[in-house]
Amino acid sequence: MSRTPTTDAFRPTSGITRIDTPADIASMKGALLKDIQRSAYVYRVDCGGCNGCEIEIFAAITPIFDAERFGIKVVASPRHADILLFTGAVTRAMRMPAVRAYEAAPDPKIVVSYGACGCSGGIFHDLYCVWGGTDKIVPVDVYIPGCPPTPAATIYGFAVALGLLGQKLKAETHVEGADERVAIAHPNVPYNLRVLIEREARRMAGYRQGGDIAELFLTLLGTAGTGTLSERMARHAGLENDPRTLEILERLKGVVTAAMAGAAS
Amino acid sequence: MFKLLKEIFRTGEATVKYPFAPLHVEKDFRGKPEHDPEQCIACAACTVACPPNAIAMATDTDAGTRTWSIDYGRCIFCARCEEVCPTDAIRLSTDFELAVTTKADLTRQAVFRLARCEACDEPFAAAKEVAYVQDLIDKTAPSANEAARRRRSVATCPACKRARDVATVAALRFDRQPEETR
Amino acid sequence: MNVMSKIRVGATHLAALKAALPHAVLDEAWQTDTQLTITVKLNQLPEAVAYLYYQREGWLSVVVGNDERKLNGSFGLYYVLSMEGEEKGYVVVHAAVPEGKEEFPSVTPKVPACVWGEREVRDMFGLKPIGLPDERRLVLPDDWPADLHPLRKDAMDYRLRPDPVGDDETYTFVNDSKQETTVIPLGPLHITSDEPGHFRLFVDGEDIIDADYRMFYVHRGMEKIAETRMGYDEVTFLADRVCGICGYAHSVAYTNSVENALGIVVPQRAQAIRTILLETERLHSHLLNLGLACHFVGFDTGFMQFFRVREKSMTLAEMLTGSRKTYAINLIGGVRRDILGEQRTRTLQLIGELRVEVGRLVEMLLSTANVDGRVKGVGILDPQIARDYSPVGPLVRGSGHKRDTRVLHPFAGYGLVDLGINVGEGCDVLSRTLVRVAEFFDSLSIIEQALENTPAGPILTEDFTYQPYKFALGFTEAPRGEDIHWSMTGDNQKLWRWRCRASTYANWPVLRYMLRGNTVSDAPLIVASIDPCYSCTDRVTVVDVKKATQKTVPYKEMERYCRDRTDSPLK
Repeated sequence: MSRTPTTDAFRPTSGITRIDTPADIASMKGALLKDIQRSAYVYRVDCGGCNGCEIEIFAAITPIFDAERFGIKVVASPRHADILLFTGAVTRAMRMPAVRAYEAAPDPKIVVSYGACGCSGGIFHDLYCVWGGTDKIVPVDVYIPGCPPTPAATIYGFAVALGLLGQKLKAETHVEGADERVAIAHPNVPYNLRVLIEREARRMAGYRQGGDIAELFLTLLGTAGTGTLSERMARHAGLENDPRTLEILERLKGVVTAAMAGAAS
Repeated sequence: MFKLLKEIFRTGEATVKYPFAPLHVEKDFRGKPEHDPEQCIACAACTVACPPNAIAMATDTDAGTRTWSIDYGRCIFCARCEEVCPTDAIRLSTDFELAVTTKADLTRQAVFRLARCEACDEPFAAAKEVAYVQDLIDKTAPSANEAARRRRSVATCPACKRARDVATVAALRFDRQPEETR
Repeated sequence: MNVMSKIRVGATHLAALKAALPHAVLDEAWQTDTQLTITVKLNQLPEAVAYLYYQREGWLSVVVGNDERKLNGSFGLYYVLSMEGEEKGYVVVHAAVPEGKEEFPSVTPKVPACVWGEREVRDMFGLKPIGLPDERRLVLPDDWPADLHPLRKDAMDYRLRPDPVGDDETYTFVNDSKQETTVIPLGPLHITSDEPGHFRLFVDGEDIIDADYRMFYVHRGMEKIAETRMGYDEVTFLADRVCGICGYAHSVAYTNSVENALGIVVPQRAQAIRTILLETERLHSHLLNLGLACHFVGFDTGFMQFFRVREKSMTLAEMLTGSRKTYAINLIGGVRRDILGEQRTRTLQLIGELRVEVGRLVEMLLSTANVDGRVKGVGILDPQIARDYSPVGPLVRGSGHKRDTRVLHPFAGYGLVDLGINVGEGCDVLSRTLVRVAEFFDSLSIIEQALENTPAGPILTEDFTYQPYKFALGFTEAPRGEDIHWSMTGDNQKLWRWRCRASTYANWPVLRYMLRGNTVSDAPLIVASIDPCYSCTDRVTVVDVKKATQKTVPYKEMERYCRDRTDSPLK
């Protein structure tokens, strides 16, 4: 009963039927893009996503974002489609329906892979019941990352697919410079105290807001200024209307007081 | 019917101007993770925390390098990397315009040099990480002697550290018979 | 570590069960004050579950299978019952299936609600339910090899992808009608939907005689990675992705299950923030469903108006969590973001705007001629059918049952707010829609109450130690009803088993009864009324059995027919 698979068995595309594309597909697609500029018909193929992507596509075609401004229209049949939008990590059960939808759409067609699952399988990338992304079963023209992509990201992605906007992201490789060195933050504040402050701030308000508040507090603590710490805190703009942030800053002050008392004893 | 028409007139134009004008995005929106390689010490905390394995670290001992990489196509924008980063080298920006036509453009890499072990001269950890920890030791160690000892320890690879520990323990002769200790 | 008090909710149920079945009970243990697990003899499992279900007002929440062979030489079966009579709590009936004799007496003949759970246990663990009439696969796809059961610990690596055994779909659909009928398959691809599903409607003329459906087109194997690739603290981010609409409810249910198992006391402020976010999720989910209700009765202007206003709830989510969906806010022990002064002010402002604007839209919807005519008396869910199958959420509340996890089993910060249960007596699509409308306004009020009384203090505790082999339930009331998670910790900072039951899973089995007796044109409307996020219909193939011909009707035509009800595509 026990099966210890070889690495080959993990390879996502073993045993999957391959899709053939015409040799002149690139020029055909170029011609298609020229023809459909203001009228792109989109058919959605849900290959087993969580539905977050579907709802955001919905949001993109309703009044606030209104993708139909650009002639982008979601259609009900792959037969009508210029663009196929694949979401989901491609579950085993959806492979054949998805391939049938792909084959039903007339050539040439633009394939958009939507969301983290479509682009690469996302959080599900190596599971036993998925194949790990749109490009494992059909050739893909445009990838729209996001989990899920927001309606604005969707509109941007369509604009890239239709050749209306250029892509911003480029593959980059940074190579460590000769004198690269990471300095220790807030050198004026003792390291162990800084750790205590940052930990308490995260406990009080999480990594992002707590981190920003700790940063503010440490800056106030580490730089000389006029008045006591409390006075300087109180002077900080906007805090008078934010009792919660003041509560957190007071807590951080408490951490400093306790540490000083501990050091003195 | 009348109510509906009234609602439509009251609403007027609801659509945002994007992409013709920038879109208002909330301050703490979780968009593209921006990695600052100069601030990164290649400690790999983010690779461990990343739920979808979008961030990875590959070590090449022959070349003496460690390569950090992120796949924006697999990222779920949860900000666990930002949460665990000890040097604030990665932070989620509000940038959401990530669509690409070539899959390779979704990845970003940073190559770091590996430090060599003081004892065996084999590459074992990122040089920046070792340097950073040594700076921390200088700030926190109770004495100069202790700082020097700890700095050496950090610059030694785990295998050599184990070997040294074994030697130290053997020198203690903890397995002596009780008779001998008397 | 475990801060359990001496309260033992469920003791009367246990005593009654012991009296009714004198030799059945082998063992009992409380995981929390309100969670009791009773171990019974395997051969008396059906009687024990049926007794608690029908005699003690139990409702089936989930059936959990667990491979415990390494721990105690057997497979565990856990039938989780939500006790909703006088003494409210969860009672779990547990029985051990010894290794080597891998079968158990099916509970389904006595309690129909167990049918999906037992089919799933057969798929995933290879345990055979004796006496279960339905022998088809539930979860695994048609191209999956026979005799490979993914959740057995020794079956396979979580990454194993066996070659497809074929490219054909081989699932057979069941038709209980005695007369000759025409078959209408719908799906699995839809213009937009929660998950792909394949429906077969068996019709005589325009009338639906019976219906069957195949779900689990999106089965990905989440429960397997939760116990292999991921650490227990990473699973919260996976749970967010069980469903793209009520993902946060899953994330809270999961964290609650682990917190309950390990006895972690979550800070009050974190509980309040969870409550606020759960209700935010309900706001956008209910607005989605109300919009779709408009769409399906042919009122597309209303649909667009609801979606326009819905964006305010999305802005609210983005402001509070940093993301419009999949919030990634929970950690075991608390939450990752606080609600500071500015966010509090803006939340209250958005809540006020939503109350006014949605109020106007609802008034508009209900005063639109023919909406009433399309939804009244359509898609009746008989209260007795509901009792037998344990559906959840607005669906069961629309049929007069007072089931709402937030009130029956208060979790997160719901103990701190004032809240009732909205029920409708109509049992139809209208009744369910009205329940959702009432709940929408309740959610606004809950958020205001929680913001009014947000406790001070931390939002996260890390003051706990991970302990192996502890298990407990976690539960939430998602927009579609109760989500329930059963988690057992393993060694090495990983879970031993995670069982997650989404609310719609509990609602599908009754859909068949709701479709019977209605016309084909109402089918999308009825499916949408259980709120699977969208009706699961796309491509409609009509098979006329009498003429032995086949004809494919595009979804749009089907949907148009649902809206216009003229020019039937079936002629």
